[in-house]
Amino acid sequence: MTFVMPDGARREADAAPGETVLEIAQRLGVAELEGACEGAMACSTCHVIVEKDWFSSFPEPSDDEDDMLDFAYGLSLTSRLGCQLVFTEHTDGLVVRVPSERFNALLE
Amino acid sequence: MTGPIYLDHQATTPLDPRAMAAMRPFLEDRFGNPHSDHHTLGRDAATAVETARAEIAALIGADSREIVFTSGATESNNLALKGVARFVGNKRRHIVTVATEHKCVLVSVRSLESEGFTSTILPVDSSGLVNLDTLAEAVTDDTVVVSVMGVNNEIGVIQPLQEIGKICRARGVLFHTDCAQAVGKIDLDVNEMCIDLMSISSHKMYGPKGIGSLFVRRRPRVRLEPLFSGGGQERGIRSGTLPAFLCVGFGAAAAAAQTDMTEERERLTLLSSQLKEKLLAIPGSELNGDVAHRWPGNLNVSFTGIDAEALLAALRDDIAAATGSACTSASVEPSYVLQALGLDDAMASSAIRLGLGRQTTAEEIEVAAMRIAEAVGALRGHVHVSAA
Repeated sequence: MTFVMPDGARREADAAPGETVLEIAQRLGVAELEGACEGAMACSTCHVIVEKDWFSSFPEPSDDEDDMLDFAYGLSLTSRLGCQLVFTEHTDGLVVRVPSERFNALLE
Repeated sequence: MTGPIYLDHQATTPLDPRAMAAMRPFLEDRFGNPHSDHHTLGRDAATAVETARAEIAALIGADSREIVFTSGATESNNLALKGVARFVGNKRRHIVTVATEHKCVLVSVRSLESEGFTSTILPVDSSGLVNLDTLAEAVTDDTVVVSVMGVNNEIGVIQPLQEIGKICRARGVLFHTDCAQAVGKIDLDVNEMCIDLMSISSHKMYGPKGIGSLFVRRRPRVRLEPLFSGGGQERGIRSGTLPAFLCVGFGAAAAAAQTDMTEERERLTLLSSQLKEKLLAIPGSELNGDVAHRWPGNLNVSFTGIDAEALLAALRDDIAAATGSACTSASVEPSYVLQALGLDDAMASSAIRLGLGRQTTAEEIEVAAMRIAEAVGALRGHVHVSAA
């Protein structure tokens, strides 16, 4: 899969089914996706914008995830939390954009 | 009673005594900031605000987390339309609304046009109703939101919200409704009616002035770009410290409306049909707006050959009424709402709006009808004499 960084750079990563996009990002060393709450849906620091064609490849967000996304900066129609996106064989080739700013509810 | 008979309930309603009683402590001892969660004074205010939020939500079949407090329906309408348009903006750029909407909706749409959005302003038929086929045809793949009001502020006409909601849902388009004149008066259910955004005003339903709310659907989540930058209150949608006393008064008014609504509607139906009968017995009088699909607390009547401004002036000591919506009543332009119904300038400027409400009595209706008939007769006599 591919992370498109705020400056436009593309970072490719191998991904295994069952891994979350946040876990893949952390393995790759994408520092922008902090995952401050470690996937507990208490922050929105792993906010990513899923490329339009891939958005429907994932189950719909839960109310809890939507609640955290309410607080994300640069929210878009295809915004998700990276910790809730589980990689599967259907998402091989996935592209997500990493927004330029983040909001950490844990620090407010 | 003292003073003129109050028949201007579409402009504003008196404060419900239950709302007044509920508000009072929050202007006295319980003054805490509802966002201060480090002490009991703040938490007390927060609890009261949340109770109020639940009371408002219950009135429209919503979840309390879907209610965002605002300063009133004008802000709610601005937030709903500009908020969704700007959020979705780079994907869809078309807005559908109706010619008889409140100014704040029409002007918000015009303002969005200057940001590059396009709009379709739907006409209404001679009874003030929007045509569902025309509406369905106006919706395109580029449409962000359809905005149609519940009860019209000038003519009391009730639009078919549920049918409009179904069209919007089927087309994947957001449905916003300005229900400032409808909430607490007619039965509303945001789920049955497929409503995504609803503007509500407190002072049109016997609550305090200066507060309103916007219903924002949670599932599927409706997202808005906030109008104001700030501390992120109201789930980030509307920053600013909540006026706890106003929230509490608004909530108490909502609870009171839920209790009284059905009985009050039946009472007003009877009173307004009596008033209508008497007014339509005056020669050259005509009811504006649909007879059946109508909030009974509104009668908008034209009197041929009469200048409504002169009629209201003649009635000033006896009746408090209006020519159109209060926001535009200072202007002498004929009502754009009545013009949308096809009335010519003469008929449109001969119309007065009579708004009945909770305090209106059968005796007042009797007196008001008599005074209006006398005043119309006197004005016509005057015109006749001066013309001769």
